Amino acid sequence: MIEVRDLRKEYGGFTAVEGSTFSVDTGEVYGIIGPNGAGKTTTLKMLAGLLEPTAGDVSVAGHDAGTTEMRRKLGFLPEESPLYEEMTPLSYLHFFADLYDVADGVADRRIHDTLDELDLEHRDRQLGDMSKGMKRKVAIARSLINDPDVLIYDEPASGLDPLTTNYVIDFTSDLAEQGKTIVFSAHNLYHVESICDRIAIMNEGRVVAQGALEDLRAEHGETEYHVFTTVEVPGSVQENGRYRSVVDSMEGVERIRADAQAADGSVVDIRTEESSLEEVFLDLAESGATT
Amino acid sequence: MNPRKLLRIARWEVTKNAGGVDRRTIVVGALALLAVGIATPYAATSGVAVDSGIYRVGITNESAYYDVVREDPTFAVRDPQADLGEEIELRIDRLAIDAAPTPKAAAAQTELRSSVRAYNNRQMRQESNQSAAFPVRVSLGYTERTQVREVISTGDGQDQTADDEGTGDGTDGGDGDGSGGGDEGGTGTDDGSGTDGNGNDGTAGGGGGENIDDVAGGTGGVGGIAGQLAGGNTSGTPADISPPFPFQSLVLAFLFVLPLNFIIQAYGSTMVSERLNRRGELLLVAPVSRFDIIGGKTLPYLTGAIGIAAVIAAALELPAVDPVSVGISVLAVTPIALLFLGATFLGAMFARSFKELTFVTVTVTVSLTTYAFVPAIFTDVGAVALISPLTIVVRNLQGQAIGLGEFAFSLVPPLLTAGVFFGLGAGIYREEDMFTQRSIPLKALDALAARVHGKWSVAAVTAILLPFVFVTELVGVAALFAIPDALSIPTMLVVVVVVEEFAKSLHVYAGYAHDRFEAGLWPAVVVGAFSGIGFFLGEKIMLLAQLVGLPSEVVEGLIATGTATGVPSIPIAIGFLLAPLALHVVTAAISAVGASRNRRAYLAAVVVAMAIHFAYNYTVVSIGGF
Repeated sequence: MIEVRDLRKEYGGFTAVEGSTFSVDTGEVYGIIGPNGAGKTTTLKMLAGLLEPTAGDVSVAGHDAGTTEMRRKLGFLPEESPLYEEMTPLSYLHFFADLYDVADGVADRRIHDTLDELDLEHRDRQLGDMSKGMKRKVAIARSLINDPDVLIYDEPASGLDPLTTNYVIDFTSDLAEQGKTIVFSAHNLYHVESICDRIAIMNEGRVVAQGALEDLRAEHGETEYHVFTTVEVPGSVQENGRYRSVVDSMEGVERIRADAQAADGSVVDIRTEESSLEEVFLDLAESGATT
Repeated sequence: MNPRKLLRIARWEVTKNAGGVDRRTIVVGALALLAVGIATPYAATSGVAVDSGIYRVGITNESAYYDVVREDPTFAVRDPQADLGEEIELRIDRLAIDAAPTPKAAAAQTELRSSVRAYNNRQMRQESNQSAAFPVRVSLGYTERTQVREVISTGDGQDQTADDEGTGDGTDGGDGDGSGGGDEGGTGTDDGSGTDGNGNDGTAGGGGGENIDDVAGGTGGVGGIAGQLAGGNTSGTPADISPPFPFQSLVLAFLFVLPLNFIIQAYGSTMVSERLNRRGELLLVAPVSRFDIIGGKTLPYLTGAIGIAAVIAAALELPAVDPVSVGISVLAVTPIALLFLGATFLGAMFARSFKELTFVTVTVTVSLTTYAFVPAIFTDVGAVALISPLTIVVRNLQGQAIGLGEFAFSLVPPLLTAGVFFGLGAGIYREEDMFTQRSIPLKALDALAARVHGKWSVAAVTAILLPFVFVTELVGVAALFAIPDALSIPTMLVVVVVVEEFAKSLHVYAGYAHDRFEAGLWPAVVVGAFSGIGFFLGEKIMLLAQLVGLPSEVVEGLIATGTATGVPSIPIAIGFLLAPLALHVVTAAISAVGASRNRRAYLAAVVVAMAIHFAYNYTVVSIGGF
């Protein structure tokens, strides 16, 4: 559904994105994470056709980025979406429905269904009088007005309270279940981890790692084995009447088992702990990886 | 461009802004407008009479001055026994006038003298024997205008036309009912001189006494309210006859240009508000072109400007509104409105805050108002006033015929310039320029580069920039006009050279900065050559357009001046044609080669091009003997 090849964007002498290549399959949820200034938003805007790449190719739903045909199939939610505060949600959404050539009857039904799903009331109130969470819901409804195949969401829950954040993330997850192809960025890695099929980690304008979470863990993360014994072994600490040792390989586990048996003891429990996405991300960011 | 979406955006622009105004404000605004609409015509025709009754005069009806005082609203009639100085400024006992020893009383005396003179003039005009009332007559004619189709008129003679469908009571010759011996009135002239008729004895007696007013008034035959604004002096004595001040032109030009200054405030504001806080980002990602967006957002303001112009034009013609005349006025105002909006749009695209927008709108207001307003004031002075389309409006409202050439001369340059403004602004109506604090020079390069996609577009952009070139050169010439010739001519040549060489090369440099052209020497030469050809062709087209707009005798004069012998020979004519072509191609190619390298090389190359251009111009001027 989305093909990105050797994408580069320069602003004067500054390179914001350098050599990004990735693809997103139909119905897939693809998350982009990275520290501030990593090039996430620039990448998303090039996908949406808002920015013209300095080099490289972007294809969305079979169309070059920025073409009218592509825009018809795209729903874009920028990180900040200041609305026209003099308008009401209904007039605002109907206006965009007209721009997307959505028939009046269809638009009317779609607007009300979406606002119902988003639990947005006060639809005749001016947008300027609404809370930030309500405005974000209107912005999300606007991104769905053309029933797009592809959604590009930049920090969809940015600046929202926890309750609304969870609501928005759950709603995005529901959209994924409906078969939408979604590319989105977020600073809250828990949200990315919970709904993304695949993830790209960006740093200094480059995609330094990408793949399914399990693959990223396997390649860049760590697995720790917490081994509990009845007797003290080298490197163990006493904990609740038992001794706990931490190793990072099965060879280490076997060595502890041997040590415990040599001391007339035994291994009573082994627990495995894998790196979270946040730990993988932090490791890559701190190592300054720019593959 | 999609007209349906453009109109949808236009409708949205209107409703969006209407949503920000509550109903009470709308009602109050409408009532205020209504009140102004009612009061303005009354004030224009009757005056606001702020000085009504300010001088108190003690007088009885037995005094010869009684009618003078009673008929002048400046005076208030009081009992002559009232206290002089406290209750009255003047006391008049039959013919004796006593004034209180106050400045106000002195002013009252002056006013009384004027009132007496005006009263006497009125009385004399009512005399049945005008020869007795005005034994000496002087006819004044202002003959510089040759295309008047309605002769001068004021008051009840305003409808009399040059082609002798006169219905007035004696204006311009009148009907010849005079008792002074004239058996037929003079005939109205068709040269717009505004003098009385020259018919048989019409001077002496034909015409019912309004002729002298017309002599002094003579600046146009506008009907309705505009006619009341015609000004002119309507006294019957030589002391009161004054040259016509272009008051009518001034007021008309002011009326049409004033609303534009308000409209661009709102327009600039809406454009900048799209950019601040990234509100317009979502329109850019919608399936509409930037031209739909710009056109849609501009249309309501253009429509408003045109609508207001139509209302003003119609109101000025009340009660006899001529739709054709209104249409001509609207047609002439449209390029001005587009120019105001185009300049504001471009400025709003460059402004990075509302603070900078204020600077933009003030600059646009001052510069374009000066351009449109000042020439139109001098509509009656000469053909140069036609550089402003408002001159067409004023002439139209004064009832003068307007030639197609004059229309083109007046309207095409601002239209082209407005097009360039919108084109350049559209070039930076994109994410990178709208929502970032990109520097103004970089935005300028972006704006130029957006229109450059190959060698043909280079030629087209060069040609399109020519209105700017001419305007800039004119400003330069005007600024250097006062210094001595020995300095002014070389300086003017430098100004011309600098402006033209940048006009031919800046967009080429912008194109190279955005990787629009193939690298290398020969591609640069080709691109430069196309720019030179574009400049040459554009220059000639503009020259032809200007010649078409000028009177034939002026064109003949120019040709004679240019060749010194009248009609040029064919080789000389070819030389005149090819030499500038070669110059522009060579200099533009040099600049393009520099532009293809880097900024420093471009600046060095353009300086070389300027030096060559200066040498050429200086040679031509020297040979021409200027």
